[in-house]
Amino acid sequence: MTLDFTLNGQPVSLEGVPAAESLLDLLRHRLDLKGTKEGCGVGECGACSVLLDGKVVDSCLTPAWKAAGREVTTIEGLARDGQLHPLQESFLSAGAVQCGFCTPGMILSAQSLLSDNPDPSDEEIKIALAGNVCRCTGYHDIVLAVRRGARALRGEAPEADES
Amino acid sequence: MILGTSPLRSGSRERVLGDTRFGADQGQAGDLYLACVRIHKAPARIDGIDPAPALALPGVVRVFTAADIPGVNRLGIIPVSKDQEFLAEELVRCPGQAVALVAAETPEAARAGARAVVVKLTGAPGVYDMAEALAEGAPLVHPGREQGNLLDLRVIKNGDVEAAFKASAVVVEADYTTSMIEHSALETEGGRAWWEDGKLHVTACTQNPHYDRDDLVRFLGLKPEDLVVIQAETGGGFGGKLDVSVQPYLALAAWHLKRPTRLVYTREESFLSTGKRHPFRMHYVTGADEQGRLTAVKAELLADTGAFASYGLAVCMRAAVHAAGPYYVPNVDVTSRMAYTNNVWTGAMRGFGVPQVALAHEGQMDALADALGLDRLEIRRVNALRPGQATITGQVLKGGVGLTQCLDKVEPIYRTWQAKAKGDDRFAEGVGLGVMYYGIGNTGVSNPSTAQLEWTTDGRVVLFTGVADIGQGSDTVLRQLAATRLGVRLEQIDLVRGDTSRTTNAGATSASRQTYISGNAVMAAAENLEALVLGEARKMLGARHQELVLEDGMVRVKGDPESALGVTEVVRHLTQRGQAARGEGGFDPHTVPLKPDTGQGKPYAAYAWAAQCAFVEVDRDSGMVRVKEIAAAHDVGRAIHPKAVLGQICGGVMMGLGLGLMEEFHPGKTSNFEDYHIPTSADAPRITPLIVEEPEATGPYGAKGVGEPALIPTAPALAAAVGQALGQPMRHLPLSLERVMETLAGAGAKDQPC
Repeated sequence: MTLDFTLNGQPVSLEGVPAAESLLDLLRHRLDLKGTKEGCGVGECGACSVLLDGKVVDSCLTPAWKAAGREVTTIEGLARDGQLHPLQESFLSAGAVQCGFCTPGMILSAQSLLSDNPDPSDEEIKIALAGNVCRCTGYHDIVLAVRRGARALRGEAPEADES
Repeated sequence: MILGTSPLRSGSRERVLGDTRFGADQGQAGDLYLACVRIHKAPARIDGIDPAPALALPGVVRVFTAADIPGVNRLGIIPVSKDQEFLAEELVRCPGQAVALVAAETPEAARAGARAVVVKLTGAPGVYDMAEALAEGAPLVHPGREQGNLLDLRVIKNGDVEAAFKASAVVVEADYTTSMIEHSALETEGGRAWWEDGKLHVTACTQNPHYDRDDLVRFLGLKPEDLVVIQAETGGGFGGKLDVSVQPYLALAAWHLKRPTRLVYTREESFLSTGKRHPFRMHYVTGADEQGRLTAVKAELLADTGAFASYGLAVCMRAAVHAAGPYYVPNVDVTSRMAYTNNVWTGAMRGFGVPQVALAHEGQMDALADALGLDRLEIRRVNALRPGQATITGQVLKGGVGLTQCLDKVEPIYRTWQAKAKGDDRFAEGVGLGVMYYGIGNTGVSNPSTAQLEWTTDGRVVLFTGVADIGQGSDTVLRQLAATRLGVRLEQIDLVRGDTSRTTNAGATSASRQTYISGNAVMAAAENLEALVLGEARKMLGARHQELVLEDGMVRVKGDPESALGVTEVVRHLTQRGQAARGEGGFDPHTVPLKPDTGQGKPYAAYAWAAQCAFVEVDRDSGMVRVKEIAAAHDVGRAIHPKAVLGQICGGVMMGLGLGLMEEFHPGKTSNFEDYHIPTSADAPRITPLIVEEPEATGPYGAKGVGEPALIPTAPALAAAVGQALGQPMRHLPLSLERVMETLAGAGAKDQPC
């Protein structure tokens, strides 16, 4: 059987994908997309977060076959034509990146939140990102980055929001 | 202006794009995959290992045992206490220890091979409690060891505590305990080894590439020049990537098989096999006069090192040195002991024993204040160490002492919260304080760093450093220092980092030492490079007696604006003569070893200081503690990159919240994040990080360090806040739902023998 899906805007067609293979293994090992990380393998840390039809999923718990006929977005697919996505920009400007291992999953999770709720409160951001663990930042600058990214995605001018 | 600004951190653009290759991302087609055979019940004698069933499986290439290790099978980060057999020889000492290593063509075959290896074992009596381990007749974790299960004993003694207690207005006595903690860096340990140019190369996530190289050279019986370690981008460390993990396995298999090897731990294997934070049991007696001035501290500390020593000696000593907190204490008697048990081994974790003792010394300060009817903040201010006073090791502090400034910063916030804190039948609010000091660098021993800077003929400057950036931002901070000192733009500084074939030893990214110690090494390299360039320019300009200055990429003669040379011109002149425009520098903080019988000496050249306060709400129905706010004031000397400092403070506070409220690793039970909860964004309070800059005369532009200090006062502040909410002191961490409910039910936690 052939597994057909769209990956970061491009059609992909793969043969011989075992039924038990996770979307994470397919991305990292079969397609060599190392931007998607494995942090725990049991759906607790969110490092493996990708978007499936725009909604965040833990790719470690998602069978690769679930992607059939659907759109998968990984961190590699977020920037377009060398232009960073507004959340990538805001993670940089807010200093939300320390070791950076959680960053791809965190950004995709934030993107999923903002597609549902373009203007979340800090509390809503914290609840939405609770499945993505970060051990470095204390989340302070991540929440700031999501707030800034949200404003940019809404087309609003940046505000002084350093707190 | 580069210093004190927050330029985009090196490598962060690659990180948001997903382009960064961490240790776990290494690998190429054709690599062999490795898997360890680990034993889950210990102690146990190894009666035999049969690799045949594994070798019969398709794809399995080889099975290694301890007999295949050509060098010394004793690893551990401190040279005098290397005791970890990376493949157990006769005895498995703790659950999770490996006895064999399987190399195979695919990861599946490696895992199947590891399951198929037959290990015959005979169970042996073990000891799992740190106090029992030191009792007469306890089973020995390392049979034949002269000191039995006592890894180390350290004392700090000064004055006469018993006489001081008798003369004190009040004496308080209490027990405190902390839990075993897993670092939980988001990246598990991973890397790759391969042969290149006749040398074995190992790349892995690590906090200290040069130590790794030395350990691997010993392990394989090689010469240092035969093996190259390259730090892979590292997804967090917090002390957990100081000891080697995957590296010896990668190197052993690649050395034997002459093929590239790859190994990444699963989270379960990482939890099972890597070091943890030492759990501590502490008994304190503290006296004060009527004004609240400390008269004496007597502290008995006991910690569990598990089956291996790792950084135990350092933790045992550092805990003792910091046992009385950042206060002037005229009489002191500290005994710090560390015991081997058959638990998973413990090692370095952010703070090296100081977060543990901080719970106790801060709990004692609150108890004294309450007993004397004094304000909890004021009693800290009264006792805060000041320049001219001596620490408990007899070190007279000259400057760079910013504790009272930190207290000044948090005081208005603390008072506001105190006035706001309320309670009803169900929810009770509380406010607590925690303060600390922390010695920068290793304790009372030489711990040098080195660096090189080279000006190239195309006008760039290359910084060569062995400093492992594990996410804290040293790549950027060291470049900022070099650029500032040389008067060039930050963008002109390129970096070669963490490759043992191209850089020299900078020591470990630990002990909050890299900004201070390696920063100073970079400054020294810059000075030497400047001297070389100015010396050459002097010859070129024929300016024998005039003063030359280096600024904006030009050498200028002071007072003669007409005479100037571009630095690149000078560099070309040097290289034409066959000399590189290269400056080398080193720095080793001045310390005096502690006397074994009294602990007196000068353990550190510089200290960081901090005060934090926490505002919590406790739900009496569920035992749930919700942290509403934390304010954290840290004296860092000079914030080279303020945004990175604030990031360290917020991250440290959150890790301290985990230590205080939820994290507890149970050896043999805890397996993954399903049963080991670390703080998520839903747990995150509002954090107010505050920077205090009390310059350290010996630091680069006055800088000290902040990595570990950020975490240390948080748990004590939380314990005090929860204690205030519940109306009784909380002295045993973590303050989990169960512990809070037990406290509410009046049971409390039972004190354990120390």
